[in-house]
Amino acid sequence: MNQALEKLRILADAAKYDVSCASSGLERKNSNGIGNSKSFGICHSWASDGRCISLLKILLTNKCVYNCVYCVNRCSAETKRASLEPEEIAQITIEFYRRNYIEGLFLSSAVEINPDTTMEKMLKSLQLLRETYSFNGYIHAKIIPGTSSGLINKIGILADRISVNIELPSESSLQLLAPQKKLSAILSPMDHIHNKINENNDLRKKFKGIDKFAGAGQSTQMIIGASKENDYLILNAAQQMYHKFHLKRVYYSAYMPVVSSSLLPVPSSPPPLKRENRLYQADWLLRFYFFKADELIDLSSPFLDLDLDPKMSWALRNMHQFPIEINRVSYEELLRVPGIGVRSAYKIVAQRRRAAVKYEHLAKMGIVVKRAKYFITCCGKYYGKISLKPETIKNALFPEINAEQQLTFWDRN
Amino acid sequence: MVDYLYDGSFEGLLTCVYLHYYEEPASGVFLESQYQSDLLRPYKCVVTSLTCSDKVYFAIRKKISPLALQNTYYLYLSNHIHKEMLVLEYLKKGFKIGISIDDQHADPLIHDIHILSKKVLAESHRFLGLIRFTDTGVFLYSAIQPDHNILILLGDHFSDRLKNEKFIIHDQRRSKALISSDGIWYITDFDSKTDFPLQKKEEYYRSLWKNYYNHIGIGERKNPKLQAQYMPRRYWKNLTEI
Ligand code: SF4
Repeated sequence: MNQALEKLRILADAAKYDVSCASSGLERKNSNGIGNSKSFGICHSWASDGRCISLLKILLTNKCVYNCVYCVNRCSAETKRASLEPEEIAQITIEFYRRNYIEGLFLSSAVEINPDTTMEKMLKSLQLLRETYSFNGYIHAKIIPGTSSGLINKIGILADRISVNIELPSESSLQLLAPQKKLSAILSPMDHIHNKINENNDLRKKFKGIDKFAGAGQSTQMIIGASKENDYLILNAAQQMYHKFHLKRVYYSAYMPVVSSSLLPVPSSPPPLKRENRLYQADWLLRFYFFKADELIDLSSPFLDLDLDPKMSWALRNMHQFPIEINRVSYEELLRVPGIGVRSAYKIVAQRRRAAVKYEHLAKMGIVVKRAKYFITCCGKYYGKISLKPETIKNALFPEINAEQQLTFWDRN
Repeated sequence: MVDYLYDGSFEGLLTCVYLHYYEEPASGVFLESQYQSDLLRPYKCVVTSLTCSDKVYFAIRKKISPLALQNTYYLYLSNHIHKEMLVLEYLKKGFKIGISIDDQHADPLIHDIHILSKKVLAESHRFLGLIRFTDTGVFLYSAIQPDHNILILLGDHFSDRLKNEKFIIHDQRRSKALISSDGIWYITDFDSKTDFPLQKKEEYYRSLWKNYYNHIGIGERKNPKLQAQYMPRRYWKNLTEI
């Protein structure tokens, strides 16, 4: 018993830096077994770092033959090693799930002998869960680059979401920090999965009773701050992957300097949390606000502004487009105003069909008036009370721009 | 004008709304068991009528909107001390102006009602995650102390998810329980003793879970403020892991 405790500790510890652990995007009823899946995410607890715990996030093993410099599990590292058997994984998942500790399983692994032997074991775990235990809850399986397509196909039928981590978005960084990984070996399974999902969607339209292939889609994760890539490169890579592979999410994980190496930031240097936060905000703008990466950032200053959120920063750079009249402009234009979100833009559009939206209404509709007022007119009137110069607005909004800003933008899916 | 006293059921509350329109306008609606009578204020105890409440139910849906019906129900489940009055005022306005009632964000009453209704829904959603079952060996048991009366909103979710199990979710604040067996559930008064001796297997999985919980947080990113913001401390008492 104590042995299982120890194994779970090691393998959870080893998995915790992977941040892509949301569960959602899929609705499935229980078909006479245990579990179902909800299209909205369910958080079961929040860890001491304020992150939502939804899935049991664990490695099959942390015994690795690869030697990625940034990774605590790399083969040259001295660390305790452990593996779980498929049966153990299945049992823990079921018992946690029955007690409503978790929403499902997020299973990944180090490379024990080679990608395929490890992924065979992962497949076995999923088969046990789905077939022997009739588990209908959420499963996210992480595919190791280099896994054969036949195995990916089998896993995709059993898992709700599959992901291949790109980790570092350039060939040169991979070569430097993850010498056994090749960009092409990461992108080709992504492409394969994307094609399988499309093919499966077509089949399911034609025939009844065909199982979904990765019904909740695929995602990936990038490590921020371990290598030299700037935000321009990162955001453009994300945009391309959304476009090309229709990823559901790209996750950004601030690198925790846990390893000493001349190739990496020194241990004890603080993880770039603020930068990570800004990337999530920019990513959000790409996905829901109709922004393009090169509007948010350009090569002349290739990092996102840490003091201002990317939308505010864009707006201040583009003051010539403001102020805009909220009773007239399109939904897409409303979305570009700092302080107006998807919901409040929608509310404005709904309400103004009946009667003009007045300035006094804005706060009640969920608009952050304090920010928005500099960028809008309401029934023709400007309420900003100061000139439309970016610097004046910036000063009015953020008198102490360096004041500690709270990070609240965790992965809310 | 008269104060209507109802039995605490949703149907009872809707019956009062019916009487307000078809017998005598209501000066107020109150829970019968908590009513403080006052010589100068006339009151009537209402006998819940399914015929009347059905009429109101369908009228809300048709003449106002399904959303308004949902809001009415969430208001009814809320812990607001004057929730009956809120329901009455909301429906009076709703029957007057129809479907656009819920676009009146500038109306303070509607604004407050939306906030309250959202709170109830949000709490029930939160509890989909925050329920912790103990396996007693015979059934699964969970104790909760929610702000609002949300048990009924949990029934379908858990009875589908745990279709082949028997379980009890016990609202200790209201002495009620949701009881489910093989996918069929109901709510009943419940006040039994609930400290079951912990089985070996149960202890084992609890310790695994606590151990997991303690290790999954990233030390360098500790953020107790954020943690408490998402998971308010008043809920911690019933969580296994904290
Ligand atoms: S493959 Fe690389 S990143 Fe993955 S566990 Fe092994 S060393 Fe770590």
